Amino acid sequence: MAQKSFVRLFGSLLGLVLFLVLTAIAQNSSRPAPNDREMDRVQAMITQAKKEADQFLKSGGKADDANHPNLKWAATLWHYRLEHPGTPATKVATIQALSMLYRSNRVSEMQAKADTLKLDDPAWEQIINVLLFASTTTKDYGYLISKAEALTHSAVDPKIKALARFNIGEAYWRKGDVDQARIAFQTVVAEYPNTSNAEEAEGNLREIELLNVGQPAPEFDRPTLNGDPLSLAGLKGKVVVLKFWATY
Amino acid sequence: MGEVPLLKELYEQSKDQGVVVVGISLDEDLKKVHEVLTSKGMSWPQVSDADQALCKLFNVKGTPTYYLLDRDGKIAAKKLPSFKKLRDALDLLLKKS
Repeated sequence: MAQKSFVRLFGSLLGLVLFLVLTAIAQNSSRPAPNDREMDRVQAMITQAKKEADQFLKSGGKADDANHPNLKWAATLWHYRLEHPGTPATKVATIQALSMLYRSNRVSEMQAKADTLKLDDPAWEQIINVLLFASTTTKDYGYLISKAEALTHSAVDPKIKALARFNIGEAYWRKGDVDQARIAFQTVVAEYPNTSNAEEAEGNLREIELLNVGQPAPEFDRPTLNGDPLSLAGLKGKVVVLKFWATY
Repeated sequence: MGEVPLLKELYEQSKDQGVVVVGISLDEDLKKVHEVLTSKGMSWPQVSDADQALCKLFNVKGTPTYYLLDRDGKIAAKKLPSFKKLRDALDLLLKKS
């Protein structure tokens, strides 16, 4: 009798322990790691900001309006950055805060915030592009070039150094300073071989040399989708529009 | 893709002035390209650039991108990102020649 109830007690204890262990495992696997939770939180803010910005523009708001939701959300995301230094979610929050400021034409405010970032901040990976967009809009490339120069010396991530040097080339090129652009692109090719930046820099160098207005277009010769032969040489005497396109 | 009707109109209007349009499709799915060509009635010659070789040759990084070549095969305007810019460049070129 006593033995039987002991077995029963042992059995139910074992069951309880098993139940607790399984529940713990289940809870653990359904609860994301803290970093993921923070990333979800930041992504939710960004989604909400985008929704509000779309509504604002649809109802007639202007991009540089003082009531634009981008400004509120840029402040919120920047605040998040200050409260949570050094996490992957903070990198995303920082990039979004600055690009929202740029999109609402707050370029000098964006630059002032960018100035507070240390040169080893991983967010530079994207912010250097935001600076390029901004300077293309304002036609003022000075800030971008000086910041990017500093990054090519002091950034830790070689990817960021390569991108910074590449964007210096883009800035000079857009500014019309082809010689400086060429130097920057050549440096990217020489110092960061086998990167996507080097590949793009090579394309730009080729364009600078060979694809100027007044130069002969590069020849190509390939059958059309209908199987007819087609070559640019065969179209001499015609004005030719080349349209690069895609269905997607 | 929204520019197709405009380009079609321009193609019809300027054919007689010796203007040809060549479409260079970046798609890998050629079946889809054929479907779109039919449904949109794009009748100008098309070549496939699924291997991106022509993109590389012309340093094209996005779509749509237009190049305009004059009657000598020289570049008259390059890397135009919109139909409007193409139209302006073409008007200018046709006035000159």
